[in-house]
Amino acid sequence: MSAGIMLKGMTRLISSVHKLDPGRFLHIGTQAPQCLAAHLDNQVATESPRAISRTSENDPAKHGEQHEGQHYNISFQDLKTVFSHGLPPRFVMQVKTFNEACLMVRRPALELLHYLKNTNFAHPAVRYVFYGEKGTGKTLSLCHSIHFCAKQDWLILHIPDAHLWVKNCRDLLQSTYNKQRFDQPLEASTWLKNFKTANEHFLSQIKVQEKYVWNKRESTEKGSPLGEVVEQGIMRVRNATDAVGIVLKELKRQSSSGIFRLLVAVDGVNALWGRTTLKREDKSPIAPEELAFIYNLRKMVKNDWQGGAIVLTVSQTGSLFKPRKAYLPQELLGKEGFDALDPFIPILVSNYNPKEFESCIHYYLENNWLQHEKAHTEEGKKELLFLSNRNPGQLERLCAYL
Amino acid sequence: MAAARLSASLVLQPRARTLRAFSTSVSPATRSPRPSPSTTERTSRYGRPLRRKALPPRTEKMAVDQDWPSVYPVAAPFKPSAVPLPVRMGYPVKRGVPMAKEGNLELLKIPNFLHLTPVAIKRHCEALKDFCTEWPAALDSDEKCRKHFPIEIDTAGYVSAGPSVRNPKARVVTLRVKLSSLNLDDHAKKKLIKLVGDRYCKSTDVLTIKTDRCPLKRQNYDYAMYLLTVLYHESWKTEEWEKTKTEADMEEYVWKDSSSEKNILETLLQIKAAEKNLELSKEELLGTEEVEEYRKSVVSLKNEGDNENTLSQYKESVKRLLNLT
Repeated sequence: MSAGIMLKGMTRLISSVHKLDPGRFLHIGTQAPQCLAAHLDNQVATESPRAISRTSENDPAKHGEQHEGQHYNISFQDLKTVFSHGLPPRFVMQVKTFNEACLMVRRPALELLHYLKNTNFAHPAVRYVFYGEKGTGKTLSLCHSIHFCAKQDWLILHIPDAHLWVKNCRDLLQSTYNKQRFDQPLEASTWLKNFKTANEHFLSQIKVQEKYVWNKRESTEKGSPLGEVVEQGIMRVRNATDAVGIVLKELKRQSSSGIFRLLVAVDGVNALWGRTTLKREDKSPIAPEELAFIYNLRKMVKNDWQGGAIVLTVSQTGSLFKPRKAYLPQELLGKEGFDALDPFIPILVSNYNPKEFESCIHYYLENNWLQHEKAHTEEGKKELLFLSNRNPGQLERLCAYL
Repeated sequence: MAAARLSASLVLQPRARTLRAFSTSVSPATRSPRPSPSTTERTSRYGRPLRRKALPPRTEKMAVDQDWPSVYPVAAPFKPSAVPLPVRMGYPVKRGVPMAKEGNLELLKIPNFLHLTPVAIKRHCEALKDFCTEWPAALDSDEKCRKHFPIEIDTAGYVSAGPSVRNPKARVVTLRVKLSSLNLDDHAKKKLIKLVGDRYCKSTDVLTIKTDRCPLKRQNYDYAMYLLTVLYHESWKTEEWEKTKTEADMEEYVWKDSSSEKNILETLLQIKAAEKNLELSKEELLGTEEVEEYRKSVVSLKNEGDNENTLSQYKESVKRLLNLT
């Protein structure tokens, strides 16, 4: 009896300690709030909000329905390797500000993880396409699935934004491999560097199966590790695009053999079949297939290889010559794109549902991001809900002012 | 003025009597019967023919329920005294109002239709009825009219009170016909729609031909009928070059021989190869229920465009095809 009273007193003390310093980062696991709730039934209302927004389950493989709406932490190690170039810029800024990277677990990502867990690696790669309005979280859902695959030790082939390749390219060289196509040395070499950081351990294991001659003096022999090709591309910027092409070809060929599993993740895949703003010297426009990188990437997202999965997003942000309100896959991909990607599984990413919205607000409140005095009141929340229409991107932009 | 004159003449008279010897010629003239100042008839002292004072306008004698068509039986210029309306027309001067109808040239210049009031027109129709035949009793509903007379011709006549009865706008003839009432098969219908272009409205299935290139209405009507005949016969013919119709020319999505079919076939073949299940042939693969559903969802997606319904249908069918849970 006394022990029970003492326990009650202790837990009450702990809860009051919790209430006193809301600024501390509290990693209350999913188990903790349940036992707290058992002891403090009259204080459940104040305790559970804090627990709603976070979960201690940091392995995406174990994320399930019960974690929906909660934020999980991505370690800095993973950030440096897996997400060296993948995260959207505003999220990177948020990570720097909060000094931690927390991603919300949401239903579209959970759905995709469920499919990925049940993939049959003998069947051809299935294509999944995230689509949704602007700011709903397609890129972050993609990053969630990339994190999962990285933890499961897949080889990640991540193109952070395919739109960057079809616009604003300063130097276009005529391709050394095929005279009709064009090379983009700068973009290719940056991508190769990031690819190397993401998949260090694989590069020494995978061996090329053909001899590649770069120029009169240099060549890569058959059987040498893929890392050599990547190094060649990084060092000799002129051959970077060809190096990328070789990497893609080799990975596609060898993933079917089962040594490793390949995840191809492309953000903004509608750039592959759209138009470009690049022009030749005589000001005539260049079609996407005349860019060597796009040509190779198109081959990559075809489902004629086994042993992996292809996860894509279609986005209007950054797309060329598409209206602002367009978000449906057929609108953004066009006829050519749809025919090329058919059959695929479209996954809709929508705005936050009320639970996720609450969770997001609590996460911001915890990190002291919302400085406005009315931010934590019910009215303030209703105002934010109305202004942002539960759109994650919009909410993030609004809260940046508060 | 007249009174002053009278008193002057009265004063003059005694002087005239005293000076009788010198001014006998003056008095008879001044002594002639003088009219009283209250009468409106003006006299002239200088020998011009007398003019009658203007009578009150006819409008004052008009009853409210009078017979208007007898006032204006034919097209006539505007008579302010015969029209009882207080009409004003004209640009007003500063701090003024438009000019009244009396003596208003503007009202005279414009054509008026005072002879065509509803009462007058009713009377015309009554008079014309004797020359008309009965409406056929069998055509008592719109549908029956449309069924027996599928072609509808619209013409417009113009009436103007001006120097000439001709109006160049009267030669326009519009021919409207529903394509469902024409005997067209699938190829003929598609060809006809392609030939006429914008003149066909998809939602109401009506072909509209508007002609005005001939000077007379009669000629335009003949031309419109000729166009319809030519279109009908041409669309039934199949030319040599129609065989080269490509996918881009198609009006709606056709599943057969499309790239979607090829893709799905390849995918399924690869799946079967992976499972070492090579017994099924191409036709059998295409004939399964899942492929059928997939085909339907792709066709609806392409024809209707993206919406939640079609996309979720597509998703389900793909999941079932690829055996994902």
